[in-house]
Amino acid sequence: MPPTKKAKKAAAAGGGDLTGALPDAMLHRILSLLPAQEAVRTCVLARRWRHLWRSAPGLRVVRAAGRPPATVEELQGFVDHLLLLRGGSPLDTCELSFDQIRRQDIPRVNLWIRHIVMCKVRVLVLHFHPHCQLDKLPLVSQHLTRLELSGLILNDSFLDFSSCPALDYLDIVQCYFSSSLTNITSQSLKRLRIIKCYTGSRPHVHATNLVSLHLDTITRTPVLERLPSLVKADIKLNSQCRDFCSFDDFSGGCNHEFCGGCRGVQAENCVLLRGLSEAKNLALVAETKMFVFRRDLKWCPIFRNLKTLLLNECWCVPSDLSALACILQHSPVLEKLTLQLFSMGPKHKVEMKGSRHPSGVSAAMLKYLEIVEVKCEVVDESVLDVLKFLSSLNICKITTGTHAFYIHSICI
Amino acid sequence: MAAAAAEATIDGGGKMIILISADGKRFEVTEAVASQSQLISNMIEDDCTENGVRLPNVDGDILTMVVDYCNMHAGDAAADGDTTKASSTEELKKFDAELVQALENPVLFKLILAANFLNIKSLLDMTCQRVADMMSGKTPEQMRETFSIENDFTPEEEAAIRQENAWAFDD
Repeated sequence: MPPTKKAKKAAAAGGGDLTGALPDAMLHRILSLLPAQEAVRTCVLARRWRHLWRSAPGLRVVRAAGRPPATVEELQGFVDHLLLLRGGSPLDTCELSFDQIRRQDIPRVNLWIRHIVMCKVRVLVLHFHPHCQLDKLPLVSQHLTRLELSGLILNDSFLDFSSCPALDYLDIVQCYFSSSLTNITSQSLKRLRIIKCYTGSRPHVHATNLVSLHLDTITRTPVLERLPSLVKADIKLNSQCRDFCSFDDFSGGCNHEFCGGCRGVQAENCVLLRGLSEAKNLALVAETKMFVFRRDLKWCPIFRNLKTLLLNECWCVPSDLSALACILQHSPVLEKLTLQLFSMGPKHKVEMKGSRHPSGVSAAMLKYLEIVEVKCEVVDESVLDVLKFLSSLNICKITTGTHAFYIHSICI
Repeated sequence: MAAAAAEATIDGGGKMIILISADGKRFEVTEAVASQSQLISNMIEDDCTENGVRLPNVDGDILTMVVDYCNMHAGDAAADGDTTKASSTEELKKFDAELVQALENPVLFKLILAANFLNIKSLLDMTCQRVADMMSGKTPEQMRETFSIENDFTPEEEAAIRQENAWAFDD
């Protein structure tokens, strides 16, 4: 419906209805950004607004500012009315955010989700608190491109996206992976983020078209199956991760009955590195005690596309730089190496830039390496060890701020 | 021609384009800046920006803001280095917030129309979000007042609609 003549006139006059000049598509856009309750209430503003909410392409069922928590019990009547009255009007985005879902509410929430999916939703955001497990039904949609989940207990069937051929982006934050969960499967997925998730077992990620992967804080590192299209991966394993050995065995096979970290690990194959081997850009950061990366080096693949690499102290344990040496040996076209040693950033007290000796002959290995950065809090023994190692790669000169010096002059 | 235009873009948008507002003001911007408008980007592709781009729907004062916005965000799409991005993203956010907060309502709505006409998605998102933020938490009466929306319902009609949609009003 075009703006009414009256509204147009008023807007032209300058003092009149400001919304009058906007086409319906713009008002729909604005309504899509409002919490659903407020969007529906615009029906009484004026004639033009009466039915606009029904066809807005976005729906946000969320706790509105200054409102009580959004429990399914409270909102059930509202959401039933909302979904039935807007009918099958197509949806672009939908956000469902509930502060409480009782066991008896679950079938209804499932039904809502299925209805929303039938409205051809492209972007679906589910945010539940506390955690809740939906029915074991896989999503089936030709239209879904982006799915953001938080506060869900996830199972195999929910994370099987073979019936969502357009799914491009999957975001899993603060979810529990049920102990039976073994696979995350999608042929179309390009971007995957798993952040702050709890998992009992080690799920396998099958996503042959994945381009970018972000893993941060997960109790058991997932197994990455072949990811031939991967370009960028950012992996961070912090103290929440159980992939460490209580007895400092970096093979993950201490066989000690009291070591939960190593249990069942010995029989496993390569976990992360093989899946990451096609990437161009990698950040691999872990607490020093984590064994995943160092254990994976047993199967170390060639990172034949790897151009930029960021590592932390986990790769440079004092007096053992074999892990660092190994991954560098397997990265033939590496151009930029960043080492963040005991300094998480983003700001670092000491930042050094290494460069090759101008007259030096390029090492046969790493002949494309141009930039080496070392970031740390303080230059101590272990950092000096790393610098010494770098000098063996013909990185002889270090610049920090306005100062420049040769490694051999400080390491003797 | 198309090849030459592409080259200029790769060079950091060296080629200049003239934008002409409804009231005849002229703005010279690089292709990279102008291409944030999908409308102009398509025109560049079709090679029809030679004699300047006339924008009969956009006044000079609004176009000034749009050009400022596009100049600030020109690096956005091209930026590759992660390190420089972090700080500039913050700067941009601040710039955006200040820009949109400072707008008088009539200007805000004109900016929405311009962003829609020029098809600049990020600017459209930002300005629509501002309107939504201004509506949120308000009663229908307060919304009408904020945006000078004339209530063309009779009191009886309004009561009937409230009744019909009571499920959205009870609390």
